[in-house]
Amino acid sequence: MNPVATTRIPAAQIASRIAAAVLGSWAFSWGFVSLTITALVAGGQTYTEAHTVAMLLAFLVLLIAFCWSFGTSSLSRVWAVLAGGAALMTGAAWCLQRSLL
Amino acid sequence: MFSSFRLSMAWLHTWFGLVLGYVLMVCFFFGSLSVFDREIDRWAIPESRFEPQPMPSYDKLLAPIFANLKPDAHELEEARGRVGGTLAATLPVMNWGAYTTHRDPVLLMFAEFAITNNKNDPDDHIHGLATIDPRSGKLLPADRLKIGSEFFYPMHYSLHLHWKDLGYWIVGLAALAMLAALVSGVVMHRKVFREFFTFRPKKQMQRSTLDLHNLTGVVALPFHFFFAFTGLVIFAGIYFPVSDTLLKPLAQQHAMAEAQAKGLAFKPAGVAAPMASVDAMVVEAKRRWQARGMPGEVGFLTVNHVGDINGYVSVFRAGSDRVTLVGQGVHFEATSGKLLREDPPPTAVTGINEFLTGLHLQHFEHWLLRWLYVLGGLLGCVCIATGFVFFVEKRKRQHARTGTGGVRWVDALAVSTVTGMVIAALSILVANRLLPADLPQRGTWEEAAFWSVWLLALVHAFWRTAPVLQANIAPAWREQCWAIAALAVLAVLLNWVTTGDHLWNTLREGYWPVAGLDLALLAAAWLAVGAARKLHKLNKPERGAALPRPEPREDGAAEGQTPQGVPVAARVSHG
Repeated sequence: MNPVATTRIPAAQIASRIAAAVLGSWAFSWGFVSLTITALVAGGQTYTEAHTVAMLLAFLVLLIAFCWSFGTSSLSRVWAVLAGGAALMTGAAWCLQRSLL
Repeated sequence: MFSSFRLSMAWLHTWFGLVLGYVLMVCFFFGSLSVFDREIDRWAIPESRFEPQPMPSYDKLLAPIFANLKPDAHELEEARGRVGGTLAATLPVMNWGAYTTHRDPVLLMFAEFAITNNKNDPDDHIHGLATIDPRSGKLLPADRLKIGSEFFYPMHYSLHLHWKDLGYWIVGLAALAMLAALVSGVVMHRKVFREFFTFRPKKQMQRSTLDLHNLTGVVALPFHFFFAFTGLVIFAGIYFPVSDTLLKPLAQQHAMAEAQAKGLAFKPAGVAAPMASVDAMVVEAKRRWQARGMPGEVGFLTVNHVGDINGYVSVFRAGSDRVTLVGQGVHFEATSGKLLREDPPPTAVTGINEFLTGLHLQHFEHWLLRWLYVLGGLLGCVCIATGFVFFVEKRKRQHARTGTGGVRWVDALAVSTVTGMVIAALSILVANRLLPADLPQRGTWEEAAFWSVWLLALVHAFWRTAPVLQANIAPAWREQCWAIAALAVLAVLLNWVTTGDHLWNTLREGYWPVAGLDLALLAAAWLAVGAARKLHKLNKPERGAALPRPEPREDGAAEGQTPQGVPVAARVSHG
């Protein structure tokens, strides 16, 4: 990351950051939604109730992830957290669902 | 990529706000009109200009109409494409429903038909719709477009782009950008409180535009945040379709268990059975609401698994006196009329969700709040539009010096989505009054008028923004303001000529759905004339003002941005 604001920012970097903010945050929120629902169902809530809780929180998570991906200087960290978090949470939700069926 | 957090938020605000601002303009403007969608319907369909009606008798009036409902021709065509061939000669009916609110003279009825031979989706189904006069049961012609509830309203959340739900996704991204623009806007401007009271209309255009942008953004901030956020929550099932994909097994398992626990059959048994009197069930439901201390009318009525021994009838109370749309469902066995279940009060989480979505959709009775919604929505439009104008004002002199054309295109798109959109909305009203009453596919022609006039406005905007290249105000703005004024007055006159319901009559009779829209049209014309004359005055001293001028340091947006920060942002777009 270049600390001098006047330096021209490479287009590839801009594109990567926008992709991280839009797609990465969405994937991260998808993982969050899936894991929240399965965890709440595992905790004894009905699916409908769990789904409602997850959806009320999902867009706040999405908004925070979206703004954070612009506010953080390291682009690789943004990708690591968002893609990694998405994969981990989605995987965990999938495993949890299997144990619930 | 950015040297500070504040700079990164400024970048986010500028570029996401600009690109998705064009979409947000559409959402806010047509969302504002949707607040009075039923009233706009009355204006557009003169046959339906009568008082709102309660849900009519099912046994006497609705039952034969339901039995005659046919699948929508367009949906049939699409379903043929999905199964890749022919469909069954008669599609089995799954469910019937009727929905009304305290503002509806006409009743909307729908049916769901099963597509039995789709191998990829065993739950595939299509719809059939009808609108009736509930006093007589007479069907309204299917090609009468309800401009408010069937055109303006879906425009604000789907843009009428139905291919792969693309419109919903674009609007969703725009809503996210709106939320992010509010957050980043607050980060950029530390002095939020002061901006509440700052508007200097006599200062130079760039300064007063920014004042107005900040003022409208801050004053209506909770309103804007609420609508963008709840808009996303309402369509959460589209944006995060986990229940249809990853978590489908779990969702299905719970849906079946829930249906069993409620005693409401999840699937039909495949055994035909006749139906008991639904009117008797409605009487019983109303008695139960009364017993709970909340007497009310029926807002929503459904027959599930039509004609099957597992069939049941659900009667929901209209939420005219509370925020939740409909509720307090009472469910009966269709064959016997026996009570199956009375819905318990919602849980805390469901209650919050119903409150938030109900407050967005606003089908309850509160006329003052209804007007405040319009005001809030239009403030949002002002906020977005001044954002565009500020973007152009801030850069146009520099662009004129360096010979770059970027701001001209931004200005042309701004003209198209601000005044051009209003022109298109007025054109559909004018077309509605001008097209012959018996024209086949009349609604399609009305929509065609809307889109073609908007396209025309876009072409005009691109043509008449050339003076921006010399750092002048584009004449397109002024000319389109005149077009708005002319079309708005024309719409009012046409309503008078074609229906005889002129303002003197509608005001005297207190028929507000039509009087209100006519008055709003005249107000729009008055505002447009004012804007056009002001633009004319502004343009004179502006001529030849393409001299380089230093950025004003009091500029709120430039605060926290290094002076060099601006060119970075400006260059990114062209690099």
